[in-house]
Amino acid sequence: MDIVACIKRVPDTSEVDVIKIDASQKDIEKDRLVFKINDWDEYVLEEAVQLREKLGGTLTAVTVGHNDWDDVLRRALAMGADTGIRIDQDVSAEDTHVVAKILKTVIQQIPHDLVLFGAQSEDFGSGQLGAMVAEMLDIPHATLVVGLEAEEKRVRVNRELEAGTLESYTIELPALLTIHTGINQPRYISLGGIKRAMKKELQVMSLSDLQLSPDALNPMVRLEKLELPPKGEGAELITGAPGEAAEQLTKILKDTGIF
Amino acid sequence: MAVIDYKYKDVIHRCFRCGYCKFPNNWIDVNNCPAYARFRMETYSCGGRLWLVRAWVNGEIDWSEHFAQIVYSCTACKNCEQQCPLRFNVDIVNMIVAAKSEMVERGEIPPSAKEFLENVQRQGNPYGNSREKRGEWMEGTGIEAYQGQEFLYYVGCVGSYDTRGQKTARVLGKVLQKAGVSFGVLGNDENCDGNEVRSLGEETLFEMLAEENVAQFQSLGVQKIVTLSPHSYNAMKNDYPGFNGGFDVAHYTQLLQSLISDGRLDVSGGVNATVTYHDPCFLGRWNEEYEAPRNVLKSIPGIQLIEMERNRDGALCCGGGGGNFYIDLLGGSEDSPARRRVREAHETGADVLAVACPNCLTMLEDAVKAEELEDKLTVKDVAEIVGEACGIK
Repeated sequence: MDIVACIKRVPDTSEVDVIKIDASQKDIEKDRLVFKINDWDEYVLEEAVQLREKLGGTLTAVTVGHNDWDDVLRRALAMGADTGIRIDQDVSAEDTHVVAKILKTVIQQIPHDLVLFGAQSEDFGSGQLGAMVAEMLDIPHATLVVGLEAEEKRVRVNRELEAGTLESYTIELPALLTIHTGINQPRYISLGGIKRAMKKELQVMSLSDLQLSPDALNPMVRLEKLELPPKGEGAELITGAPGEAAEQLTKILKDTGIF
Repeated sequence: MAVIDYKYKDVIHRCFRCGYCKFPNNWIDVNNCPAYARFRMETYSCGGRLWLVRAWVNGEIDWSEHFAQIVYSCTACKNCEQQCPLRFNVDIVNMIVAAKSEMVERGEIPPSAKEFLENVQRQGNPYGNSREKRGEWMEGTGIEAYQGQEFLYYVGCVGSYDTRGQKTARVLGKVLQKAGVSFGVLGNDENCDGNEVRSLGEETLFEMLAEENVAQFQSLGVQKIVTLSPHSYNAMKNDYPGFNGGFDVAHYTQLLQSLISDGRLDVSGGVNATVTYHDPCFLGRWNEEYEAPRNVLKSIPGIQLIEMERNRDGALCCGGGGGNFYIDLLGGSEDSPARRRVREAHETGADVLAVACPNCLTMLEDAVKAEELEDKLTVKDVAEIVGEACGIK
C-alpha cells in the first residue's frame, strides 16, 4: 500500500501567554517561539508507519513551507517514512484553499492508495484541508478517524461523533482520511533517530516545479486581522494560600448551586 | 525480537538474584530498592529487572508497556551497586540505562517518559514550560546575570520552574548574596543539565545538552560552578569533562560549608529545631558527599541533628530519580518510597526533614501531605534552614 502523509509545523502553544501578535496584526511574533510537529500529525505518522510495517509499500511525507519546516520531515523520516517532500513556499498567510491546491498537485504525482492528514492543525484549526484535498483529487474521504483497519483495496474506519458515538465505514481505495488523536500511541523519536535521518535526502520542490503559478492559487479567504481574545468578564481569579483559595472556591461552588 | 547490540550481553547473566540489592548497608529492611519497596514484587527489584532485561535481550520475552514501566521504575539510586557483592556491580545501573537506551531508539518508552524527553527536546526542561520563563524565579531578588563573576550559580530545571523549587533557588541566591559571594545566573539562557535525560536512556540528547552547556559556559569564561541540584552537580562534575568541560563544580552545601567555616557566612542567628537529614542519591551514593550538608546543619546554633536508621550510603531514595519526580511510576501508594521515607523521618522524632536536592524536596513534601504529617514534620532545604539562621525569609 502506498501512503502519503501530509504534515505541518506549528508553534508550541502549551503556554499561550508567550504568543504575541506582530505589528502587521496578521501574524504572531515568531522569533523566540519554539516550533514542533502538529499534534494530530504525530498520530498520522504513527498510523502510516504501522500500516507500512504491516502491508508494505511506500510512505511519503509531504509538507509545505520554507527550510525551517525540514525538521518535521526529519521526524517523519526518523519514524520510518521513505521519502520527505517539501514544497518550498511560505503559506502561513494563505488560506486553506491555496494549500489544498498545492498539495493536490503534489499528491497527484506520487503513488497513493491512502492519503492521511491530521484532523486539524493546532494553530489555525480549520479542519478543512483534508476534505478539500480529497474533493480536488476526486477520491472518497472520512474525517475524524479514530480507528483504522486496512486491506489491499479498502479500509474500514471508525469516525468519532458526539458523546463518543462511533460511525463505521468501509471505503474503497484510493481514499483520504483525516486522523484524530487517540487512534494510536505515537512512538518516541530519539534525537539519534533524527540525526540519522539527517543523512536521508529530502526532495524540495518549488511551485514552478509543480507548474503552479502563484497568481493561479486564488485564495478564497483573506485574513484581515489577528487578535488575542480580550480578557473576559465574569472570570474570577482566586488568589491566596492554597487552603484559603480552596475555601473560597468551595464557597463559590456552593453559592452557585453546583454542589 | 532479540536485542542485538546490547552492551552488557556478556555480563548481565552473572546476577543470580541473591537479593542483597534490596537491602540497606545495615540490613535492617528489605525495602531499600525504591521500586521494590513500592511494588513488593521481585520483578521490580534490581535483580528481577536484570533478569527481565536479560530475557528481553535474548528474545525470550517481547517488549510490552508493562515491561517498559518496570525498567523505567528504576530511580538510578545506586543502592543496588552499593550492596551487590559481585564485581560487575559497578555497571548495574548502566545495564538498566542501556536497556532504556534500546527502548528509546525503538521509540517504545512509557508515555510519561516520552513527554519528559520531548519537552526537554523542545523547551529544555521536562515540564514543557517556555524557555522564556526559565528565569522568572529570580524576579525581585537582585540576582545578577552571569558576566564573569567568580561562580556560575546553575539552578536547574526544578529550581527554575517548580514553585517549591523556585523558593529554594531564591533563598540560596539570597544566602550567597549575604555571604558576599561573587556569582551570576543564566536566567532564560540556562538549559537542562541532562542528568535525568541520560538516566532515561536518551544518550544522544544528553550529549547534545552537555556539548551545548559546555560551549556556553566556556564562551562566558565560566570556571567555577555552584549547583542547587545534586543532579546538575553530578552531570557537570562527572560527565561534562568527557565533553571537554573541566569546570570546578561544587554542590551548594559544599560552598556553604566553607563559607561558614571561613566566617564569611554568619549563622549565629540559629534555628531551634530537631532536624533529620535525607541524603540525596546524586550527592550521597553517586558522589560520596555525606558530610558537607551535615556539617552545615551542625554549625547552626539550636539545631539538634539526629539520624534516620537508614542514612548516608544506606539511605532510602525518595523515588524521584531516573526522571521519576516527573514520570511518576512509583507514586500513588502508601508504599511509595517518599511516603516510606517521611514515616521513617517522623519516627526519629524530628520536626524538620532536611534535604539538599529540589527533587527530594518536592517528592518528600508531597509525601508529608499524603501522610497527613504537616503539623508534625516540615520538609526544608538545607539552604532554607541556613537562610533562617541568617535572618533571610
